[in-house]
Formats: sequence, structure tokens, C-alpha cells
Amino acid sequence: MEINKLERYWLIAVGITLGAFTAATILAVTVFGIRLPAPVERIDPQRLDQTIFANPGVRKIADNRYEAVIVARSWAFDAGPEAGNPAVLRFPRGSQVTFYVTSKDVMHGFQIEKHTLNLELVPGQVARATANFNRPGTYHIICNHYCGAGHQVMYGVIIVE
Amino acid sequence: MASVTYPQTFEAPATPTTLKLAKREQAMIGAHIIAALVALMFGIFMGPFQTFHRSPTFVQYFPTIPIFTFYYQAVTAHGVMNALFFTTFFIIGFCYFVVERSLQRPIKSTPMGWAAFASMAVGLVMMLFVLLTMPQQSAVLYTFYPPMIAPAMFYIGLVLLVLGSWLASANIFLTYRDWKREHPNDRVPLAVLAVVVNFIVWCVATIGVAIEIVFMLLPASLGILKVTDPQLARTLFWFFGHPLVYFWLLPAYVSWYTMLPRQAGGKLFSEPLARVAFIMFLVFSVPVGVHHQFSDPGISASSKGIQTLLTLIVSIPSFMTAFNVGAALENAARNRGAKTLFDWPFKQKWNDPVVAAQLSGMLLFIAGGFSGLINASAQLNATIHNTSWVPAHFHQTLGGGVTLTYIGILYWLLPAIRGRALFSRKVALAQVFTWLIGMTLFGLAMGEAGLQGVPRRALTSQAPYLTPAGAFWMDVTAVSGVILLISSILLYVNIIGTLFFSRQPMPEAEVPIETVSGDRTSPLWLERWGIWLGILGILLLISYGPVMTEVLDFQEGWNILRYMPTSNAPMP
Repeated sequence: MEINKLERYWLIAVGITLGAFTAATILAVTVFGIRLPAPVERIDPQRLDQTIFANPGVRKIADNRYEAVIVARSWAFDAGPEAGNPAVLRFPRGSQVTFYVTSKDVMHGFQIEKHTLNLELVPGQVARATANFNRPGTYHIICNHYCGAGHQVMYGVIIVE
Repeated sequence: MASVTYPQTFEAPATPTTLKLAKREQAMIGAHIIAALVALMFGIFMGPFQTFHRSPTFVQYFPTIPIFTFYYQAVTAHGVMNALFFTTFFIIGFCYFVVERSLQRPIKSTPMGWAAFASMAVGLVMMLFVLLTMPQQSAVLYTFYPPMIAPAMFYIGLVLLVLGSWLASANIFLTYRDWKREHPNDRVPLAVLAVVVNFIVWCVATIGVAIEIVFMLLPASLGILKVTDPQLARTLFWFFGHPLVYFWLLPAYVSWYTMLPRQAGGKLFSEPLARVAFIMFLVFSVPVGVHHQFSDPGISASSKGIQTLLTLIVSIPSFMTAFNVGAALENAARNRGAKTLFDWPFKQKWNDPVVAAQLSGMLLFIAGGFSGLINASAQLNATIHNTSWVPAHFHQTLGGGVTLTYIGILYWLLPAIRGRALFSRKVALAQVFTWLIGMTLFGLAMGEAGLQGVPRRALTSQAPYLTPAGAFWMDVTAVSGVILLISSILLYVNIIGTLFFSRQPMPEAEVPIETVSGDRTSPLWLERWGIWLGILGILLLISYGPVMTEVLDFQEGWNILRYMPTSNAPMP
């Protein structure tokens, strides 16, 4: 089988391009420390009261370090009574927040506007991800996974002060 | 040229190269194409109505939008009808035609062909019934993730569609096997090689969704099974869901590789490399489904990494296609008098709807290909996952490249089925260009909105979180919806016109496909299917072995289904 010269050059160019994409993907993990969601724990969504999700809310763990435990349900993010409904979370500028989120009914999504934090909330799975809030402002938490007729009103707010 | 003797059994039309269909062909292929167009009719018009529902400005001026007033019903109907029923019927009808005309023999078994069609048609009727009469309960979208469970009829309709498609696949494989036995030393025509690849991909992929529906969703819907596991279901769905897009794409590639060069007035650049590209699709298009699950909590980062790499590899055959088909189009333009480096894209038959539709589809597909590479890059996905960027991407690929190519095919195949000329070439051209403009604008607006964080599949006009920028792009999307609504109406004007009102006889035309393999240099081992299936099996083991171990998670014993399903979609 003969491969035309021009076509060979084209294939080499394609190889270089995809090699660069692969290198960028590997660099993102090794150098920039961007992590994809990975298994944390399985839980029974009907027995959340026996887990950390019994008391949703924000907890300070160190200077500028927080943990936020949030339960998604149709159609609200429950981040404890202090946060209210829709949940409003306040963090000082420069905070690093680790979110632990799960769903107690159907599939939901958890996306923070203008931040690379985007989780599928699968009932029975704990989703964990960390975000850095360096720019003051108001950012929505959006449920971006269809969860029934009220899907479009399911949101929360993060205020970075 | 290969010396091929054709079997006497072929129930041939007057001359084998004429496009005029024999009665049997007309019935079988016509039935599939008409069923596809019925499904498309219920799906296509739901698209523009979704863009209207999503636009705050549009809803302000037109608070009640007629037809499918429940937005999520429109989303479900649009996805299920367009992506599952229209495509499957169209592909099977078109591939029967390709196989019969390329191999110069009828499909193996006509009764089996009709049994397959009957199964899929009953599936279509059941699905339409459940979507129209139970809009709230059946609004589970075309991805139907549990624990949201639809009425049983929804799943039975899908089961019948897949069962029928398996029968059709078997029919095509057996036809190919018969031909191969009679021609052991010949290369099968390129188009048939591609069709065989396509149905192998389909049969492997549907195993995932068949297991999901038969063992998880249907029993849950019937109340037999009280538990489910959403993470497992999602994994099985996307095992099917990504190869599915290649099942849509490869018939379009059949047209680009084996028909478009002749339609455009040129010659394919390299047939052997086209064969290599299709074999690469066979090997690499299945073990990549996890790239839809980069944001899932239940799958490890390393498993996601393996499938990122495989996803990048599966773009290689598409890059090869761009070169090969691009060269064929340049050749066509040179034959038509193109002289300079960059005038050949303009010297195409842009006034021929069959060619213009496919070229327009390619333009959209190039944009869709690059947005797809962005989606495939695991970390970039976090910025666009589940945002309206994703529908922007697949409306450039599926709604653009694939659908416009199917429409281009329709503009010569439908007249052949009806035995009359196309109702109006002018309407067809207007349809193609409004589609190109509308879909370009749609891709731009939805893509920009996605980067602003606007989610996909949400009734954004009612969303409290919609930002002014997001609202602006949703309004632009509604404008693209108006253009695409016009285009869709023009499409059906031509379909109904050709079927019922065309009085012109069909012009004398040749079948736009090769009946023999012209190239003796392509290696015969490309048709050693055992090798490729073996490699596919190994890749599946590497890519899905770890994923399934993580998802099934046997730590707590064999009780893998652990979650109580809800009975239907939650209502306010």
C-alpha cells in the first residue's frame, strides 16, 4: 500500500498536533495539579443521616481553608440552615474550599460559574472537588444536569468578599 | 480493474448502473426512509421550539408557545426522535441500498428485512404514543438516566428499535459473507467495507444499552426491580452513547468517500487509506465512552486518562478523511477549471443541492470536530461539561455534518424511491443554505453561552441564575431557531412535494457508487475481521476493565444495585 508524500506530511502534522494535546493533558495533571473527580466513597442516599451529609454546612478547617458539605435534592442545594434556600455561601477572598456533595434523589449537577468546578452528582456517590476563590464577586452554583420539571430553578450563590 | 462476475440471482433493474429502483428495493428502502422522515418530523420541529422556550426575550413577548408546551417534553422528543429513531431507520435504509448496489445482489433475506422493519416500526409507534400521551412521565430525555424512570412503553419502544437493528445488521453481514465466499480474492467495494464496519460498531455498542435497559430500567419501570445504580447505568449508557455518534457519522463518510467525488465531478485521492480510516473507526470508536463521564465521581482519574488518549486517537481517521475527501474535491474543482491555490472551494457545484448539502455539512463538521477535541481534553471539559457548549458541538457534528449529508442523500434517494423528480431544486438549495446559516449561528450562540456557564437542557428563560450575557446569547439562539424552523419547513415542503405533487419524471441518473473495488493495491488483510475484533477486544479490556471494576465496586459484596428508584420524573 502506497502512501502519497503529501498525505504522509499531513499525517505527521496530525500526529504532532495530537501529541501536543496529549502533552498538555499530562502537564495539566503533573505541573498544574488539575484533578478530575475520582471515587471518594459510596453511600446510601436514603440514609444520609448516618453520614457527613447529616449536617450540611460550611466548616473552617484552617486559615483560608474551608470544607463545604452540600446535599442536592429536587430542587435545591442544601448547605445547612444558615445558608438558607437558595443557599448563599460566603467566603473571604483567597479561600480554598473543598466541596463534598451528593444527591439524595435523582441525578443533579454542580457547577460554579467562572471556576473550573463541574461535578456530576450521582446518587450513591460522594463527589469531591476543590476550588480557589481569588476574585471577589458573586458566582452562581448551577445545577447543570436535568433533574425534573423544576430543574431550572435549582441554584445556589457563592459570595467572595 | 478487478474482474468480477456477478451472480445471476441479482434481481436487477434494466441496466445495473441506473438509479431507477426495482419494485422490491423501492418497497424495502422506501419504507425505511419514510419511517425515518416520520420520526424526524416529530423531532426536528421541537428544536426551534426549545430555542424559543429558552430565550427570555422571546418568552416575554410570546408567553405561550404552541406545540409541546412542556419544554422538557420537547427536549425528550427532539433527542429520541432525531438521534435514535430517525438516524437508525435512515442508516439501515441507506445501507441496504449501498450494499445491494455495490455488491450487485439483493440483501440476504427479504422476510428478515421486513421483520426487522416491523420491529422498529412498532417501537417507533410505541415511543410516539408514550411521548405524546404521557409528556410529564416520559420526560427523561434521550439519555434516560435512572433513578428517573419512564413508563415501561418508553423502554419497550427502544428495545424493539435495537432488536430490529440487530436483525438488519445480521442481514447485512450475511449478504457480505455470501459475496465474500464467491469472491475470496477480491476487495469488497469501499462503501460496503464501511457499512460492515458501521454495523459491527453498532452491534458492539448496543450491548451496553441493551444490558442497561433489559436488566435495570425496564424491570424498574415494571416494578419488578426495586433498586438501581445510577453510576453503573451511566457507564453502560455511554459505552453505547459514544460509538453511537460514529454509527451516525460513518454513513455520511460513505457518501463523502464513495459518492461525493463522482457527484462533484472528481476522483477519490486514495482508496487504500480510506479503508484504513474505516478500520481505525472499528477499532477506536468503542473504547472511548468515558470521555462523557469526566465529571463523574465514581470513575478514577487514571481510567479517564486512558480514554482521553483513545479519544484523541479516534480523531486521526477523521483527519485522514479531511485530507482524502478534500483532495477529491480539489480534483473536482481542477476539472472544472480552478487554477489557483485557494479557488477550488469556490469552484464546486454549489448550485446542486446534493453537493451543496454535503459541502455545507463539512463546513459545520470542521467546527464540530475542533470543539470535540476540546471536549475530549479531560481538564478543558470541566469548563464546558453540561453547558450549552455541548449541544453547540453536537449540532455542528450531528446536526450539521451528518444531518446535512443525510439531507443531501435524501435529495437524490427520495426521487429514486418515488420515481419522480425532486419537487424543487430551488427550495432544496434555500433549505441547505438556511440550515448552514442557522446552525452556524446556533453553534456560535450556544457555544458562547456555554462559556458563560449557561447549562444545557434547562428552561433558561425561567432560571434565576441567568446572567445578562447568558440571556443575550439565549436570545441569539432563538434567532437561529427561527432560521432553522424556516429551513425545516422548506425540507418538508420538498419531501411532501416530491412524494405527492411532483409531476416530472425522474431524470436519467446513474447510481453514484462504485460497484467494484477499483484499487488493487489495498491490502486484503484489511478484511480479516477476526484481527480487528481481537484488537478491539483487547482495547475494551484495557479501557473498560478498570472502569467496570470501579463502577461495580464489589467491596460490599455482589449487591451492586443499591439505590431505590423513583417511579417517574419528579413534578412540582
